[in-house]
Formats: sequence, C-alpha cells, structure tokens
Amino acid sequence: MAVAPEKAPEQAPAERPSGARNVGAVAWDWGKKGLALRESSIIVVIVASLIYFGVSVPGYFTGSNFKNLLPYFCFLAIMAAGQVFVMTLGEIDLSVGALYLITPFIFWKLTTAGIPLLPSVIIALVIAAALGGVNGFFTAYVGIPSFVATLAMLFFLDGLALILSHSEQITTPGTSLTGAQSTFASVFGGGTYSELIWALVIVGALQVALSFTRWGIYTVATGGNKLGAAEAGVKTRRILMRNFMLCAATAGLAGVLEGVRTSSITPDPSGSNQFLLYSIAAVIIGGTLMTGGEGTVVGALLGALFLGILQDGLNLKSVPATYVYLWLGIAVIIAMVLYVLVRRIRMGSGHG
Amino acid sequence: MADQTVAGQPIVEPSTAPDDVLRIEHVTKRFGPITALRDISLHLRKGEVLGLLGDNGAGKSTLVKIICGFHRPDSGRMWLKGEPYAPKDVLDARAHGVDTVYQDLALVDQLSASQNLFLRREETLRPTPLVAGRKMRRQARAALDEIGINIPRIDLPVARLSGGQRQAIAVARAIRDQSDVLLLDEPLAAMGAKEGAMILDLIARLKERGDVAIIMIVHNYVQVFQACDRANLIQDGVITFDKPTAESSVDELNEIVVEEYRRARQAATTGNGGASQPSSA
Repeated sequence: MAVAPEKAPEQAPAERPSGARNVGAVAWDWGKKGLALRESSIIVVIVASLIYFGVSVPGYFTGSNFKNLLPYFCFLAIMAAGQVFVMTLGEIDLSVGALYLITPFIFWKLTTAGIPLLPSVIIALVIAAALGGVNGFFTAYVGIPSFVATLAMLFFLDGLALILSHSEQITTPGTSLTGAQSTFASVFGGGTYSELIWALVIVGALQVALSFTRWGIYTVATGGNKLGAAEAGVKTRRILMRNFMLCAATAGLAGVLEGVRTSSITPDPSGSNQFLLYSIAAVIIGGTLMTGGEGTVVGALLGALFLGILQDGLNLKSVPATYVYLWLGIAVIIAMVLYVLVRRIRMGSGHG
Repeated sequence: MADQTVAGQPIVEPSTAPDDVLRIEHVTKRFGPITALRDISLHLRKGEVLGLLGDNGAGKSTLVKIICGFHRPDSGRMWLKGEPYAPKDVLDARAHGVDTVYQDLALVDQLSASQNLFLRREETLRPTPLVAGRKMRRQARAALDEIGINIPRIDLPVARLSGGQRQAIAVARAIRDQSDVLLLDEPLAAMGAKEGAMILDLIARLKERGDVAIIMIVHNYVQVFQACDRANLIQDGVITFDKPTAESSVDELNEIVVEEYRRARQAATTGNGGASQPSSA
C-alpha cells in the first residue's frame, strides 16, 4: 500500500478556522476530487473532443447541432445504463442488440392483436425483461458463462425477429400523427427531447440505485467478491437474475423509443448488433470495469455521449462514411489509454 | 464407539455442562467420496474461547461452515442455548446469534469499511429504498471504537486497509448484532507480529465483555495458549483432544500430532503389502 494519505494531519491545526485555506489549496483539493471520480477520464476525453470539433467545425456549439447530437447517444445511454448493472457484476450481456431489435416487433405484434399502445409497450418490456431473466437463469443457476448464454440469446432473438417480421420493414405503431397517437409518439421517442428525458431519468434513477440502495451495494459486492458476498448472506443469484432483467428491459425500451422516433422498424440484426458494441464501448469508456466490482451509470451516459459527439462531429466534418469507423476505432483507443492513465493517478500508484 | 478411533486415539466425548452455549453431537459431513467430518462432538461454554486445532484437511473449516449454516451436516445434532439448532443458511444462523469471520474475511474490496460492516444488514431511510449511509458510517465508527480499532477513514474502499484492519472490520461486522457464538476461521493467518497482537488484544477484549463465546481456528500452538481457554484438536474428521489450555502445554499438543504422523508413517511402511488389498479378510 504505497498510497499517500490524502491529507497530512498537521494541515488542519486547531487554531485555524476551516475557511481560511488559500485558493491554491482549494483548487488542488477540487482537482484531486475531480480525479477521484470514476468518470474523470471520460470527462477529460469529452472536453477534449468538444474543443477539437468546436475549433474545426464552424457553428459547432449551436442549438440545432445539439439537437442533431441527441439521436446519436440518447438510446445508447439507456442501453448502456442497464449494461452497467450486468458488467459491474463482472458479467456481460451480448443480447442487448437483439433485444433492441425484437422488442419493437413484440410491441407491434401486440398492437396488431388489438391491445392499446401503452399496455403493448409495457407488456413488450415485461417480455424483454423475462428474456433477460432467461439470460440470468442460465448464468446464475445453470452456470453457463454469461458471454455464451447471452450469445445464444443474441442468435435466437435475431432469428425470432426475422421470423416475426417476415424480414420486412414495418411502420411503428402509434406514429401516425393523430390525437392520442401523437401524444404517445411524442412521449415514447418521437418528441425532440423525449429520448433525452428518458435517458436522463433512467440514468439518474439507476445511478442512485447503484450508489445508494441495497440492490446497488449488493451488485458491487457480488461483482467484487462473489463468494464473500454470498457468505455475508447476499443472494448473489437473485442479484444476477435481477440485473440481467433490468439490462434486457433497458435495451428493449431503447429499441421501442428508436422505433417510434424513426417511425419504422427494420429487421436488421447487423445494425442492432452494432449498437451492442457501441453500448459496451460506452460502458467501458465511461469507467466501468470489465472485471466487475466497479461501475458508473453516469459514466456510461458520458461514454455514449462521447461516441455520439464523435459520430456527429465526423459527420459534420464531412468525413467519408468509409473513414468513420476507422476514426472511431482510433478515438476509442485514445480514450481508453487516457482512462488507464487517469486511473493510475487516481489510485495513487504506478500499478493502476 | 470404542472401535471408532483415529490413529489410535480414542474419540473424546465432551463433558456435559448446563451453561453450554453450543453443543454438537456426532456430526458427520461428506463431500462426494471425501469424508470431511467423521464424527464430531463438541461443546462451547458461555464466554469461552475455544481453540480449534488440526492439520490442513482435518475438517476444521468444514466444521465451522456447518456451525455457521453454510453447509448442512449429513447427520448429527446441534443445540444452541439448549434449543435444537439446524440453521437453514448463513442468515438463519446469524438470526440465531451465530456469526462468522471467514478466513478470506468475505470483505468486498470495492466497498467501504462501513458498507462492509453493514453488508446485508443495511438500514434504509424509510419510506425510500435509499441506504442510510450517514447513520451507517456513524454506527460503524462507534462499533470500531468499542472494540478499540482505529480506522483512519471508514468511507474508503477496504482494499486500501492493512490486513489487521480488514480483520478487525470483519470481526466488528460479526459481533455487531450481539451474537452469542462467534466463529473465527484462522484470524491470525497471514498476519504480521504487530497485527497478530492487535487481533489477540481484540479477542481478549471480547472475552472480557463476556457475552460472546468464540470458536477460533488457529494453526500456531503458542497462540492457542495465548488466546484460548480450551483447545480441541481435530484429526481426520474426529476430535481427539479436548483440554483446558491451563491443564495442557504446547509440548503435549506437539507430542500428539507428531505421534499421529509417526503412526501414519509406520502404517504406510508396514502396510505396504496390504495397500493393494486393504480389507484382507
């Protein structure tokens, strides 16, 4: 333990009032506190990318560009928020892309059966959560690694989506602009800020859940020391089940919101599985450990925001589509290198 | 029972006493082909510190895990404060007043001292599901003060604390619900001399309070005589020695263990021919 103490005891002598510290010390304190945040590296990365695009793209910091940016990251932040709960356990859910794909089709099937819009969405999300429960069951109770269990689910649901849709694009229910339907559409993704509000509410709620509730503490405990948590009496399997269900539900919601926003649902597994990779990238760039025990939902939102800024910025700079992925790869590596460096400073030693 | 002997040692039947907190009679446990506990009977008096000795694989940890509700015995019976005791799981055992500090401490490195202290016992700010963090930190500090342990910052992840401090947190966690029986699985393993002394002090203070009886697994015979009122030796799944430490000595214990080794060796060398056909009728 080569960790230097945060504050030497003689720095707080009794005769001095607490407010009398000089500005430099306060700034140093704040700097330290900032670096102590799990999200510090992604904040640094985001500020750097904003400065870069702000300088190189005229009119970058405008309201209309902000609105352009929203569809890139909001649904991703929602998917990533659920994934944080799985990855904090040291597990991974590869089926989120497939859940993103199939849930809007389930929603559509339910409405064609005559069920009203809102109940259809709710039932579709419950079904998504149940599919997540299947992931959790195979992982927690059967003992299949989550990587494999959710990979199987990915293939299964991709196939099911193609069967359900007859491989044809459909118009999202509730998106024709009349009366109650338009209210539904504007709440569930159609409104300009609808997805942003959903993302902020979900990220806020889940961050509070992760940091300040028993569920969150048990999630960290299970991811950090599964046997130890079980010996302390934590029902680790139940936590696993619950988190996979949450992750599936957020992926399904993201799918529905995007379906409503774009007014159509396309049975395109390769497209949705791209979002799987984006969401995992967002979680990791945001500061959640792949090994478990540490996670941040806000970080995942920022990770998604960073990926959004990149795509939007490259688009604004008219980078040819063929080059976008190349730059994306480079940027992600740079972000991760920064993450490792900042983490080393945070931990106060050279070993990371 | 006379035919059931280990390495020539007779099985020691525990003497009965009315103030027994815990009694165990003829407990057995198998894991597949391996018999971990052949026939265990022991008792624990109120406020007593019982040292559990034995070689690796003798069954000490299995016994502790049965008492704390992590494993269930295959047969045998247990009594806690005169009542039949058959814990369904760790939580059930804890509800009955039996708490455990495992060898690996069961601490979560990423959680703070107070979060670890309250793991699975968090209070919430009703009616919200939020955990009462401030209250927990205050109570954690008080609990650690009470057993004389100073942890500079209880809001830091315990990964940053020393081995002795981590052990102290695990002990504090175990005793915070006024438990009747405290099980310590090798509390002194991998401790430096100073940290070991700190833990021995802690056990002495707990003994002084007198409300908790302790069973501790110890490897070092000298430490048994420092910390324990009585010592039990497990050999090959059976208790073969049960004496107050005041009436015994390190030499006596050594003698028994060395004896067992010699016997086993002799059996191995003389029984060479019989190895291929063990039950030559």
